[in-house]
Amino acid sequence: MSLFRHIRKLNALQNVRQLSSAGLKSSTLQYATDPQPQFTDAETQQLLQSMTQLQLDKVFRKRTVPDNSVHTQFMTTAQLEKEFLQTIEKAQQLLQMPPVVKIKEDTERIISKDPALKDFATTKYVFTDITFGLPQSERKVVVRDVDGTLSYATLDITKRMNQLYFPLDGRKFYTPRMFSDEQLFQRCLDEHKYEFILDRLTVQYEPYEAEFHNISAKVFEHLNESKQFDQLRSTRHFGPMAFFYAWHRCIDDLLYDMIRRDYLLNAVQLIALSYKIHKVPLDYQATLRQLEELQPSPAVKALAELRSGLRQHQAKGIENEIQTAIGKTETDFQADEISLRFIEQYIGSEHALKKVQLELAVQTLKELNLEKQQLYEGLKKAHGVQQQAS
Amino acid sequence: MLPLARGIYSNLLQITRNGRVAIHTASALRCKAATEESSVNEEEKEAEADSAPDGKDRTKVIPVETSIRYLKSDAYKTTYGEEHVWTQYRRNHKGMYAPRKTRKQCIRQGKISTGNPCPICRDEYLVLDYRNTELLQQFISPYSGQVLSYSKTGLCQKSHLRLTVAVEQARDCGLITYDVPFREYDYAEYYGKKEEQKK
Repeated sequence: MSLFRHIRKLNALQNVRQLSSAGLKSSTLQYATDPQPQFTDAETQQLLQSMTQLQLDKVFRKRTVPDNSVHTQFMTTAQLEKEFLQTIEKAQQLLQMPPVVKIKEDTERIISKDPALKDFATTKYVFTDITFGLPQSERKVVVRDVDGTLSYATLDITKRMNQLYFPLDGRKFYTPRMFSDEQLFQRCLDEHKYEFILDRLTVQYEPYEAEFHNISAKVFEHLNESKQFDQLRSTRHFGPMAFFYAWHRCIDDLLYDMIRRDYLLNAVQLIALSYKIHKVPLDYQATLRQLEELQPSPAVKALAELRSGLRQHQAKGIENEIQTAIGKTETDFQADEISLRFIEQYIGSEHALKKVQLELAVQTLKELNLEKQQLYEGLKKAHGVQQQAS
Repeated sequence: MLPLARGIYSNLLQITRNGRVAIHTASALRCKAATEESSVNEEEKEAEADSAPDGKDRTKVIPVETSIRYLKSDAYKTTYGEEHVWTQYRRNHKGMYAPRKTRKQCIRQGKISTGNPCPICRDEYLVLDYRNTELLQQFISPYSGQVLSYSKTGLCQKSHLRLTVAVEQARDCGLITYDVPFREYDYAEYYGKKEEQKK
């Protein structure tokens, strides 16, 4: 009877182990080579940041955290100006992209073998350097094994020890069931909780872990199918997502979304990024430079938005009013023309996969733009007399 | 025929007496009347015993799926309307100020032992479980994201503990989303020292 029980216990143990080790199935798309040099490149970073955009409402949305008090204060215009600049800086900090690095392999590094110490204890001993202020990667963790070998700890143990002595806010010692259970993870995806999953992922795992790559790849793949890119826009995960698509040559859905939402500059940047990563011999830099001259960077735009709340536009006159009514200025129309030319060139090339869909989107946007331009010019003409009079 | 029926009847009476002492006295009496007519068989008697349940009995386990369905039903809407389960609840207490803590538990020995049970205990179809997110959401503050205090919701201590456990489980499973703390990356740690030298 007791033997029977023992066997059952063993079986149960095995089941548990199987469950824990199974985790999530690996995704199909993975970085074959080290993506880090491409990702950290200054130009790539700039493209990604510009693509992410900076919507202040989204970045500083009300968070449900224990302390979300509001501070109200009277300020002079100069102080307010300073505060605006600080706000933009803070927003950019909040949009800091998680690093994209290759998976770190676990290597066994033995310091010394001391057979004399064999069986000194029945368990391993782990020694951790807990000096204050050391970065995590430089913290030394060594393990004395039962057979007397002294070696550097594996990544797993190192992470655990770091969490033990210097806990990271929000990280759990165990794998959250959301990440270990396939069904629960799929349910999260189906409910489109992309930002939540990715936020949690950044906290739970290090960027060089296999799970990090696996889960983020799965999320991006699912996102590419559900096409809800707008959820990640203006969050810290948009850059890595765009980079992922560009790397794996599946930018078409994202591109379609950008064109449909009239973010043509971003569309051009996305195409440029994919050209850059795959080293397509095409001069995109000239177009980009032209566009950058015509359109302000997201930070400048956000700053202007902040300032617009402060000043009255009455002084600016009727032309400004027309522009705000239509939503586009003359430079915008110019920039659109350049970017549309560039996008059409991309659609015509062999790199585009969903040509018909993209062409249709471009066509509708062109018609819309034409209408807007006609309206704009018509309004200007109608008000032109007034302008001269005043 | 008659002695057999009487034998069954006495057996049944014993069972009811032993098992559900105080609850089913009324139904047992009704059973007696029925056997005098000697036209009722066993199953009908049992069905009759079930048809007059005690409102305070909480021994029956309600599955979560039922509770989830209940929260979407018309019956729920007519009872609570659009409001949360706990908004209409008022605590009974002596004097002006309520005691700091709510009562320890509303259900003792499978029965409601109080006249004013807490919002969860009074409705047996409200089951606290991590899958029952619609119910759990009612107890989470939309401002701070924390579980509301029992001084606000009036839950008994036992229900409150079960609530906090269920919310934590639901978060772990990703059924309830929350704002994850922001993690700031030190790029030098991942990209090596080159970045630092450039700066």
